[in-house]
Amino acid sequence: MNRAMLAIMKKDFYGVTGNKRLFTTMLIVPLVLTLVLPTIFILGIHFAPGKTDLDQLLKLLPEVSDVEHTLYGLFLNYIMPIFFLLIPVMTSSITAASSFVGEKEKRTLETLLYCPLTLRQIFIAKVFASFSLSMLVSFLSFLGMAAVLEIELVCLTGSILLPSISWVLILFLVGPSISLIAVTLIVRGSAKAQTVEESQQSAVFLVLPIILLIVGQFTGVMLVNAWLLLGIGAVSVALDFVLLGRAAKRFDYELLLK
Amino acid sequence: MQAVTIEKLSKIYPGGKKAVENLSLSLQKGEVFGFLGPNGAGKTTTIKMLTGTLMPSGGACTVLGLNPASEPEKVHAVCGVVTEHAQMYDNLTGLQNLFFYGEAFGMPKDEYEKRARKLLEELELSEAAQRKLSAYSTGMRQRLSLARALMHRPGILFLDEPTSGLDPESAQNVNRMIQSLARDEGITVFLCTHQLRYAEGICSRFGLLEHGRLIADGTLEALGRQVFSGLTVCVRGTNISGGMSQPEKRDAVCGFTYRKTGPDQFEFSIGQEEEIPKLVRALVDGGGNIYQVAVKTKSLEEIYFALTEKGREVSA
Repeated sequence: MNRAMLAIMKKDFYGVTGNKRLFTTMLIVPLVLTLVLPTIFILGIHFAPGKTDLDQLLKLLPEVSDVEHTLYGLFLNYIMPIFFLLIPVMTSSITAASSFVGEKEKRTLETLLYCPLTLRQIFIAKVFASFSLSMLVSFLSFLGMAAVLEIELVCLTGSILLPSISWVLILFLVGPSISLIAVTLIVRGSAKAQTVEESQQSAVFLVLPIILLIVGQFTGVMLVNAWLLLGIGAVSVALDFVLLGRAAKRFDYELLLK
Repeated sequence: MQAVTIEKLSKIYPGGKKAVENLSLSLQKGEVFGFLGPNGAGKTTTIKMLTGTLMPSGGACTVLGLNPASEPEKVHAVCGVVTEHAQMYDNLTGLQNLFFYGEAFGMPKDEYEKRARKLLEELELSEAAQRKLSAYSTGMRQRLSLARALMHRPGILFLDEPTSGLDPESAQNVNRMIQSLARDEGITVFLCTHQLRYAEGICSRFGLLEHGRLIADGTLEALGRQVFSGLTVCVRGTNISGGMSQPEKRDAVCGFTYRKTGPDQFEFSIGQEEEIPKLVRALVDGGGNIYQVAVKTKSLEEIYFALTEKGREVSA
């Protein structure tokens, strides 16, 4: 990564963070998913007037010593990780759309292509900018969520709850790999898309498998545990290699300036 | 070494449209070359092929010895490009934009900062340096684009309609700058425009393009000779004697055709420059009082239209 590529990355970062409308849109989902939703859930569990229905349900399961704490654990380590995956997908698709199609839409891409960098270098700088901003938002969201959850739990129950191994896999394997898939899908569609909004639609297809995971988890069809996440991560990494290679090939002067 | 060489360059777009056909020409270093033609003639396509952003369908070209088709990034390092489609970032200030491109061109920080401020001053944009580009007028944007193209001190400048949207004063300022870049710094300028009067003012040589084909190239005089024979000499004087008092009469003694263009103003048609002393002598000998004698050169516009007309006749 040379200085010119770093300059492009820095500029792409600023292009997203300096655009209030874009940046606000990008932050709303992480804020809701990592701060609002967990708070509602924890307060709901703690202050619920009666847990009769839930008690009935829990009688079917092996005996648990602390129902409330079990529910917190269920929420933090089984439900939240899948919801959390929406964050890297959404942030990377917003930043990639702004970085690739946004430049095309605002006619700044042609000027950028006149810089003394190979197309591959420009491609890498842009992918890396979208990817790293997405990762930054994901990590900060996780830290924010963990801090809020632990503070709330300490205040309400006097004890803390540790995240499971699933979070390590989400943060370091599944999140980054599906974030890259989202970027490549945007780049792939950038040749045809004329507006940022148009290009973001292609990332919607990536949200569908996540929704399926959520539905699967809630209906009991599957349990999103560490092994499943490891499998999803492995498949996503393999897809990254294939899709990145293809997207780089499509990053061509004539296609981009059409 | 020649700055630009183009040999039998062609571009056929998917769908069969021939944008450029068998184009051949070359540019010397430090030359301001006017590439003229109407909209859709193939000027921008040629610039894109010369800068490596478009692959030629046939032929070859080099820019300062580099092949744009195989090493476009190396060509970009030595050239500056201004086209109407190449915009800059609205969310950055004028100065931030130049800093970004300076960095992207690999210039050291202190150098690009100094260079950006100097260019903004030369292009009268210092006051707007800290303003976001979204607040710039079209003319200011155009001048900033020129500053951006000059940031890395290119050896050649490709300018596509650089003065469109500029007020006359700014256009004059840009023209002066382009001429001084060629004269003082030896920068070659490849200027595409359909504004013939503008091109005539700053270019040293011209290429006329129509429907992707080069119909003529050369200096103004050379192009003029291709379509007009002889010279027109303007004479201001009184008592222009003999049969010369009536318009469109022929002097019986010297055989010069003339036309009265105003009070005491005459235009004589002669074959070549050497005949001027003979004409003046004849007028003086006939009792005329001569106040001014000047050779009227054909304007680029006249030559252009005559050449395009000739081209059409040939192809018909």
